[in-house]
Amino acid sequence: MVEGGSDGVLVRRVLDGDTEAFGGLLARHRERGLRFATAMLGDAAEAEEAVQDAFVRAYRSLRTCRESERFGAWFLRILVNRCRTRGAMRRRSERVFVYDEAALERAAARPAGDPGWREEIDRALARLDALQREAFLLKHVEGLEYEEMTRLTGARIPALKMRVKRACDHLRVLLQEVDDARIR
Amino acid sequence: MHGSADDPLIARVAAELRRPVPLRPDFDARVMAAVHRAIPSLPVRAWTWLREPRVVAVSPIGVLAMAAGLAGLLVVGAVSRETGAGSREQEAGRREQGAAASVTFVLVAPQARSVALAGDFNDWDASRVLMRREASGLWTVDVPLTPGRYRYVFVVDGRRFVADPAAPRAAGDDFGTPTSVVTVGGGALRAAGGSL
Repeated sequence: MVEGGSDGVLVRRVLDGDTEAFGGLLARHRERGLRFATAMLGDAAEAEEAVQDAFVRAYRSLRTCRESERFGAWFLRILVNRCRTRGAMRRRSERVFVYDEAALERAAARPAGDPGWREEIDRALARLDALQREAFLLKHVEGLEYEEMTRLTGARIPALKMRVKRACDHLRVLLQEVDDARIR
Repeated sequence: MHGSADDPLIARVAAELRRPVPLRPDFDARVMAAVHRAIPSLPVRAWTWLREPRVVAVSPIGVLAMAAGLAGLLVVGAVSRETGAGSREQEAGRREQGAAASVTFVLVAPQARSVALAGDFNDWDASRVLMRREASGLWTVDVPLTPGRYRYVFVVDGRRFVADPAAPRAAGDDFGTPTSVVTVGGGALRAAGGSL
């Protein structure tokens, strides 16, 4: 539970000079941000950097947040763009190997679940086209409507539907066998 | 609820991906420290305060004194701009590779009371680059930029965010407001300018 009223109230307090009120917005929206960025980037440490970067940019640009009650949607838009930029930078630098001890420790500490299943999912996500991965996560994991996805990504609804469909088709091909073995 | 209920495999994938992601215990502290570092310095805030429009009651004698002062400022301004005369479109500073070059940003906005410039080059802090009003509602400012690609936006009257009508739009803007792009090459400078 976060104190301080609605997102709009917290945004107003920050704009009035109460910087600590930004902590309330951070507490409310970091989990979704980290979840999206981790699945999008496939690297926990880089996801944390992307989310931190997005929060700092949100703070600097808070006056441009036209609908302060919808801070979460606005922040997600910033984060989607940060992930796109980081993904493009990573492709350019052709980084192929990451060793992050802290990230490995956190992966080991992941809440109850099936680590092998998650690893398979991460591997499959990494093989998707970045825009398909993004559309899939926004639609099926974050549960956004296509209208909201259009506002967030700038892409039209038919294009978004096609990306989601192709992502699902690819994931089925990549994961069906593993999934069958799990639930057998 | 998430549109994946009719496909059990996709629903199981989505459910796994919705699990909370563990994060470092100091994550909040690190983000807030970065946020505190992003707070404008006291001089910037003071300058912002000074630039905010406010109603001031002035006596007729005060008006005369202010007019005299303003005339003096205009003379100083004309002298300082001598080097830029006749080259509004492009004004080169040092052109060697990597050196900062002066780029003139121009916006025609006769009705505006103030115009500022925010972009990648000033951390999107409009209070740092304030544009000057010239004749016919022309607002200009010279910004030293090293070679690179910069996104920017004009901030009109402290609240309207206006992309440069004469420059390319930035793709995938972060903030929900259209932004423009200026590219500064080693020796080639690109000027920005348009009207509302």
